[in-house]
Amino acid sequence: MPDELLEARGLDAGYGRVKVLWGAGLTVREGESVVLLGANGAGKTTLLKVLLGLLPAWSGSVALAGADITRLRTDHRVRRGMAYMSELAVFPGLTIDENLRIGGQFAEPRALRARMEELYGIFPDLAHRRRALAGSLSGGQRKMLGVAKALSGSPRLLVMDEPSAGLSPLFVSEVIEVLGRFRGGGLALLVAEQNVTFLDLADRVYTLDGGRVGFEGTVEALHADRALERAYFGLK
Amino acid sequence: MLLHAALSGLVFGFYFTLVGLGLNLVFGVMRIVNLAHGDFLMLGAYSAFWLFGLYHLHPLLSAACVLVVFTLVGLPLYYLVVPRLLAARDSEMLSLILFFGLQQMIEAVTSIAFGTTERSIPGRVLGSGPVRLLGQALPTSWVFSAGVSLAAVALVYVYLYQTRLGMLTRAVMVSREEAVATGIDLHRVCAIAFGLGLGLAGIAGVFAPFMLGSVTPAIGPEINIAAFAVIVVGTLGNPLGTVLGGIVYGVSLMLMQTYLSSWANLLPNLLLIAVLLVRPTGLLGRRVRRA
Repeated sequence: MPDELLEARGLDAGYGRVKVLWGAGLTVREGESVVLLGANGAGKTTLLKVLLGLLPAWSGSVALAGADITRLRTDHRVRRGMAYMSELAVFPGLTIDENLRIGGQFAEPRALRARMEELYGIFPDLAHRRRALAGSLSGGQRKMLGVAKALSGSPRLLVMDEPSAGLSPLFVSEVIEVLGRFRGGGLALLVAEQNVTFLDLADRVYTLDGGRVGFEGTVEALHADRALERAYFGLK
Repeated sequence: MLLHAALSGLVFGFYFTLVGLGLNLVFGVMRIVNLAHGDFLMLGAYSAFWLFGLYHLHPLLSAACVLVVFTLVGLPLYYLVVPRLLAARDSEMLSLILFFGLQQMIEAVTSIAFGTTERSIPGRVLGSGPVRLLGQALPTSWVFSAGVSLAAVALVYVYLYQTRLGMLTRAVMVSREEAVATGIDLHRVCAIAFGLGLGLAGIAGVFAPFMLGSVTPAIGPEINIAAFAVIVVGTLGNPLGTVLGGIVYGVSLMLMQTYLSSWANLLPNLLLIAVLLVRPTGLLGRRVRRA
C-alpha cells in the first residue's frame, strides 16, 4: 500500500494554446498537509484544477491512493474522497444547510446528518442561521461555510485554492485553527496560497513558479534557502 | 368589462406561465436559448389532437403522456446536442443558431406529415358551460387549462425546492463552475432539466387548442415571442419568476384585447422593449435570479 494519497507527475496543461503548467508534479501523503506557494499567475489554480479534473491534463498523470485518475471526471474524484474549496467556495443563492448537504452529497444520509451537526458545533455562527442564504453572510463567514461545505463529505483529501483571499488576519487564523483540528482525524490537505501564514499548517512545501515546481521540502528547509526566503517572506 | 378582462387575464397569465416555464428552466440551468421551444409546444398540441382523435383520450391524460414522452425524448436530445454547446466559448449564441435549425426542421417535418390545416379540440371536452368567478363567466376550458398550468408550476416548485435533484439543479443555476468543482454531475442535472423543459412545453401544447383556438405547424415562432416576453418580464433564468411574467403578460393581453384589440398582437414586443429599457433584469431582478 503506497503511502502517497495523491501523486501527480509531469503535468502539462493550459488554456487554448497557452501552456501554463510545464511538467508540474507533487505528492500528498495520507494525513499530510502540503502548502503550494506561488505568486499570482504562477499556475497554482491551474494545477489544482488539473488535480480535480476541472481542466484536462495535456500530458502527465494523477493518481489517488494508487489508482490512476488522470481521465476521471470531477464527480468521480469527489466520490473517491477528494474535495475542492474554490475561491468562490459556496453557492450564494442556496441556504447554509443546502450548501453543506451539497458538499456531502455522496455521503450516506445518516453519516451526513452527523457530520453536519459536528460542523455546526465547530461553526456556531452557521448553526444559528441554517436557513439563511449563503449570500447573506459576510466574506469571512462565507469562507467558513466554504470550509464546512468542503468538509461535510468527510473527504480524505481537501484541496484549497487561496483560502485566505479577501480574509482578515483574524479569519485566516480561525481557518488555520479549524483545519488543524481536522488534520488530527486523518484529513490530508493541499493548500495553494500566497499567504505564508498557512505554512503553520504545513508538513511540506512546494513552490510553483512559471508553471514549474521549484522547491520541494519542509518549512525549515524553505527557511534555510535564503533566495526562497527572500522571495516568499520578503526578507532581506 | 374591466373585471372580466382582469380575470381572463389572470387565467391566461397562468397558462402563459406554463408556456414560458420550460424555456426559462432550460435557460436558467444551461444558459442556452431553446428556440425550438415553441415547436415542442406545437408537437404537444398535435399529440393531444391525435390522441383525442384516435382514442378520445382526455387532454389531462394526454398531458401526462406528453410529459413523460417529451421528457424522455429530451434526455438523448440533450446528450446529442447540448454538451457540445456548453463546452463552446459562446454557448448562448451557438444555441440560438442550433435550435433555430431544429425549429425549422420540426416545423417542416410536421407540415409535410400533417399538412398546414389548423387543428383544434372542442372546448366541451374539458367541461361544458361557463365557470362563474366573482360574477364573471369564463369558459371552463380556460379555467381548466389555467388549473393544470398552476399544478405544473407547483410541481416544478416541489422539484426545485423539495428534492435532492432540485437542490443540485439550483446549485448549477447559481454557479456551473462551483457545481462541477463540488462534484455535481453537471450533465445529469442539465439533461433532466432539459427533458423537463420539453415536457412542460408539451403540456402547454396539449392545452394550446383551448387557449389559443387552434394550432398549425407554423405556430412555434409566435409562441416563442410570447414565451420570451413572459420570461424577460418575470426575470430571465429564474423559473419561478415566470409566474409574475405570465400574469403581467396575460392581464396586459386581455386588457389590450378588450380596449385596444387591433393593437393586441403588438403586446409581446412592447413588453419586451419596455422591460429591457426600464428594468433589463426583469421585474424580480437579481434578488431571486440566483436560485
